[in-house]
Amino acid sequence: MTVDRRNAFIGAGLLGSAAIASRLIRPAAAQSAPAAQAPGFYRFKTGAWTITMVHDGFSRRPVEGFVRNAPLADVQALLGASLLPTDNLTIPFTITFAQKDAVLAVFDAGNGVTPAAATNGKMIANMAAAGIDPARVTHVIQSHFHGDHINGLLNTANGAAFPNAEIIVPATEWAWWNDAGNETRSPEGQRAAFANTARRFAPYAGKIRQIAAGAEVVPGITAIAAYGHTPGHTLYRIADGAEQMIFLADLTNRPELMAVRPDWQIVFDFDGDAAAATRRRVLDMVATDRVRVTGYHFPFPANGYFARHNVGGAQGFMFVPADWSSAV
Amino acid sequence: MTERRILLAASAALLAAPALPGRAQAQPATAPVAQAPGFYRYKVGGWTITVVNDGFNRAPVPTYLTNAPVDQLRAVMAESFMTGDTIMVPFNITFAQKDAAFVAFDAGNGVTAANATNGRMIANMAAAGIDPAAITHVIHSHFHGDHINGLLDAQGGRAFPNAEIIVPAAEWAWWTEASNESRSPERQRPAFTNTPRRFTPYQGRVRQLANGAEAIPGITAIAAYGHTPGMTIFRVADGAEQLLVLADVLNRPEIMMRRPGWHFIGDFDAEMAVTTRRRVLDMAATDRARVTGYHYVFPANGYVARHNVGGEQGYAFVPAEWSSAV
Repeated sequence: MTVDRRNAFIGAGLLGSAAIASRLIRPAAAQSAPAAQAPGFYRFKTGAWTITMVHDGFSRRPVEGFVRNAPLADVQALLGASLLPTDNLTIPFTITFAQKDAVLAVFDAGNGVTPAAATNGKMIANMAAAGIDPARVTHVIQSHFHGDHINGLLNTANGAAFPNAEIIVPATEWAWWNDAGNETRSPEGQRAAFANTARRFAPYAGKIRQIAAGAEVVPGITAIAAYGHTPGHTLYRIADGAEQMIFLADLTNRPELMAVRPDWQIVFDFDGDAAAATRRRVLDMVATDRVRVTGYHFPFPANGYFARHNVGGAQGFMFVPADWSSAV
Repeated sequence: MTERRILLAASAALLAAPALPGRAQAQPATAPVAQAPGFYRYKVGGWTITVVNDGFNRAPVPTYLTNAPVDQLRAVMAESFMTGDTIMVPFNITFAQKDAAFVAFDAGNGVTAANATNGRMIANMAAAGIDPAAITHVIHSHFHGDHINGLLDAQGGRAFPNAEIIVPAAEWAWWTEASNESRSPERQRPAFTNTPRRFTPYQGRVRQLANGAEAIPGITAIAAYGHTPGMTIFRVADGAEQLLVLADVLNRPEIMMRRPGWHFIGDFDAEMAVTTRRRVLDMAATDRARVTGYHYVFPANGYVARHNVGGEQGYAFVPAEWSSAV
């Protein structure tokens, strides 16, 4: 049997080689492969919610000056341990969308319209690739008011980029950045947010709903106070039946740094001590619950889990990306 | 400061009137539930690498390993939040293009049933703008069906009509010698019939490659026997940059990098596969080389870090960063 099989193969081979003898190996002329990247979106389910992660590109900054309370060498060593560059830091942006029944919610609004050469501001094109029409978004749910999270509220004409959406904001965050008396009590690097907040929300007047900590925003989506990164920084739990996920917003910046060393404080934290305490509390919760999470500055597609990860006696956490699946 | 606040209030008041009807919410169309196209690009020197996803299969947990208790496997899976009674085994094909060369490393699962979870490569190649007719070389690591079935198109002809097919000589010798069948593990014996079937349309276009040989300029074969008798990995290099195409040195890295001594059900010679796995992982970790693997989670490229558990040398896979810029 095995010999027959072998003979059959050789026989077929001889026949075949005669047939193609006249056009022996003539390698194809290679076309240049299109150098375009794949569209930056990714879908998964949380119960009946369809979650779509939409990438908004990245920005790059020096490593130096990023962590305020650790030596540069320590930060670079930890980056190196994660096989990341040690001379510059890439900060990605990925926006979480959640759709169920009549609700299409987006968590934060992205960088919006940026110059053509910018590495950030890819959300609009990636939303189109994912088939998400901004006019269909019913709720924009804000975690906080830093520019990379609210600038995308405006379109090129400075009108509402989400023309039919209700805008949901944490009441504490709204109160802080809309009271000019707070400007002198804010870190110098964050004071631009006062003018920017006014500018970005202006087209939505009358469509802005403030929510309290712990409130249900829409059925199945609940606010969780996580103050520190900004005065009113808020996370959201998205649940359906037994399944849940949590949008962690800026609880951590890059998890390779800030989850492994939750006590480190970054230059963008409004209140570094409060941010660190919140980070520890929430990471402990999501690691204990083994709950799926998304983060605004996690590596795309920016969803996964946190495992406990001790480094030399210090309790830290490690981000474990969820499996990418071709089946949603 | 105060002016700014007033400005906000004023602009809000101005805009409130026309905006009021907008309180009525949009009716969302059901968001399309299609997944994003499964391809991803990055550069290795002058090479443009495109990883193309070919879907996945599911392997039962109880039979995934042959030398470890299931509870130990489940414990390691849990470290990576892998749950359930099956293990998703993804398929990812690496393409490398530079100048006139356009290479596919292995050929994917090919044409599958409409409801199959594997066999997405053809659609994903199209999404990536890769025409099978433009492929100049298909370079094979080994001859398991999920790596060679895609040599055939729906009509049983050449799926890569203009490609030269490059095969490890040791792999070719084993599976085209019928007398080896009785010396092969039972579950691998279908490869003896499948091999002639898949390579037949390429008669006269198949080139055998010796261990250590350069397949084409910049792509070098490295013997990695064990998973199959002639399993071969490839180094793709340009200048100072390199990529190791690790094929099936290991299946899911969350399991087989962490415990390289475990025996995987798909290995032809499990002991030899372990020896090879330890040697290759040590090299990749020491060199901090970028690697890609056929069964890693898409986009299936990253690095190997040492990760000791107890006293045993293990490794952890560190995915490379996904970047919107190629």
